[in-house]
Amino acid sequence: MASQEITSKNLFSVSAAPVWHCGRTVRSTMLHSLLALLPAAIMAVYRYGYDAIAVIAWAGLAAVVTEFLMEKWMERESTADDFTALFDGVVFAFLLPSTAPIWLVVIGSSLTIVLGRMVFGGFGGSPICAPAVGWAIMTVSWPEFMDLNAMLLNWDLVEPLSDLKYFGVEAITDISYTSLLFGQNLGALGASQVLLIAVGGIYLLATRQLRWFIPISFLAGVYLTGLIYNIIDPTLYASPLFHLLSGGTMLAAFFLMPYPSSSPTWKLPMLLFGFLGGALLIIIRTYGIYPDGTCFAVLLINLCTPLIDLIQPKPFGGR
Amino acid sequence: MATVMQEFTKGLWKELPPFRLVLGLCPTLAVTTNAENGLGMGLAVIFVLALSNVLISLVRNIIPKKVRIVCFIAIAASLVVAVEMLMQAYAYGLYQQLGIFVPLIVVNCIILGRAEAFAGKNPPLASLADGLGMGLGFTFSLTFLGGIREILGVGEIFGVGLFGPSFHPFTFMVQAPGAFVCLGLILAGMNYLSVWQAKRAGVQLDPHFDAGCSGCGACKMMDQIAAQKKLERMNPAQG
Repeated sequence: MASQEITSKNLFSVSAAPVWHCGRTVRSTMLHSLLALLPAAIMAVYRYGYDAIAVIAWAGLAAVVTEFLMEKWMERESTADDFTALFDGVVFAFLLPSTAPIWLVVIGSSLTIVLGRMVFGGFGGSPICAPAVGWAIMTVSWPEFMDLNAMLLNWDLVEPLSDLKYFGVEAITDISYTSLLFGQNLGALGASQVLLIAVGGIYLLATRQLRWFIPISFLAGVYLTGLIYNIIDPTLYASPLFHLLSGGTMLAAFFLMPYPSSSPTWKLPMLLFGFLGGALLIIIRTYGIYPDGTCFAVLLINLCTPLIDLIQPKPFGGR
Repeated sequence: MATVMQEFTKGLWKELPPFRLVLGLCPTLAVTTNAENGLGMGLAVIFVLALSNVLISLVRNIIPKKVRIVCFIAIAASLVVAVEMLMQAYAYGLYQQLGIFVPLIVVNCIILGRAEAFAGKNPPLASLADGLGMGLGFTFSLTFLGGIREILGVGEIFGVGLFGPSFHPFTFMVQAPGAFVCLGLILAGMNYLSVWQAKRAGVQLDPHFDAGCSGCGACKMMDQIAAQKKLERMNPAQG
């Protein structure tokens, strides 16, 4: 079948003879990514208790089982052992409120795999970031169960971004940056553990599982666009640092934007991709109807990837 | 008579307008938020399509080739205005639901597509059969799509509740992106069905040519163009 042809070795014969396999596989990259998500997951469990474990576990389980069943049906070799499905499920869980009902978690996680990946031919074929697809469908379908304030009513805090959306800049003046950094405000299960997500991201950068272009340019895009708005009218638009530390910005920078197969591959396109994504995030947060537009920004910029990828390096000796 | 029957049945499955020919997608995506809207839209299209096919077929020999598109649209537009007024008079609720998409039947791909590909070349009876078949296929498809979206997105079918109060409707399906996703999955399902049928019959299926192309005529046109170019190359003095 077509999939076997693509993965067969003779298609990968590179011209210059001494070639050395660096030992990197999809499996090892995904294990590193899961390890990078671990601190934030532990912190989420510490903060939100048993609910957080249940949501993460069900999302991961549903993703792996869905992928296994789909591959069985498509008569393909199962790829459950490369942990891509588990990664997608866990990242999807990180975007949910910790008290999300289990049926919503299972449906969302399965749709993440089916509509985000399998309809495009599995991992590596998807033009859009799978966990963001799951989040977007869930948010459009069941806004009442995805609303962080409504789902976490027993906490007397309010989600900073919806505060900003519905009550303006004055409402967020007493929210300190350190409390945002340590995830002491209301937020999505894992995405609100900003510092630990960033630690995981820096681990990925340090072990060179991830190149720095997309995360750094994404954060720069968020900061600069936020700064422009903030300079225009500080009483109307929040400070750029607030945007950097709230909602899913950090998770998007290190895990959603550099999602393999939906992000460009060369340096300049990666910088452009990240920067435009960051700018879109601020624009959607400012004018959109949802408080947090992170995943919508990621999905929109993913659709531009084929265009941005047209910027290609000039081959040596080429004209 | 056998051929008339064939022209009628091909629109029901082999050349099903939205799912096989992928024509008329604008109303298919926009009005199918529930089964009733899909059915109403389909009925309006059957009326316009069948009558416009017959009329165009009757006048096909007296229309000059160069202005045929204008004539087709004039005929379709008159019929659509008639449908719109009838709907306003007898089905005002449906008319308000469908809104702009009733007048937009004028520029629906199926009307012009069938006029150009079939009614402009064939006698009235065959054209009527073709229009009725295509219209029925279109109606079934729209009702089917509207039904799926209504069942999942609202939990009802033709306004009758199915699942009781504990059901949380999958609202994504009745919104615009749900239409695209649902249509894509149905198209994939149609292709899967063809492959499965072919496998069962033991036929090796060419994946690029599974839809019938008897109604199109593009290949014949290309041949004519090629022949004309060849003629011009042979006699450059005349050109």
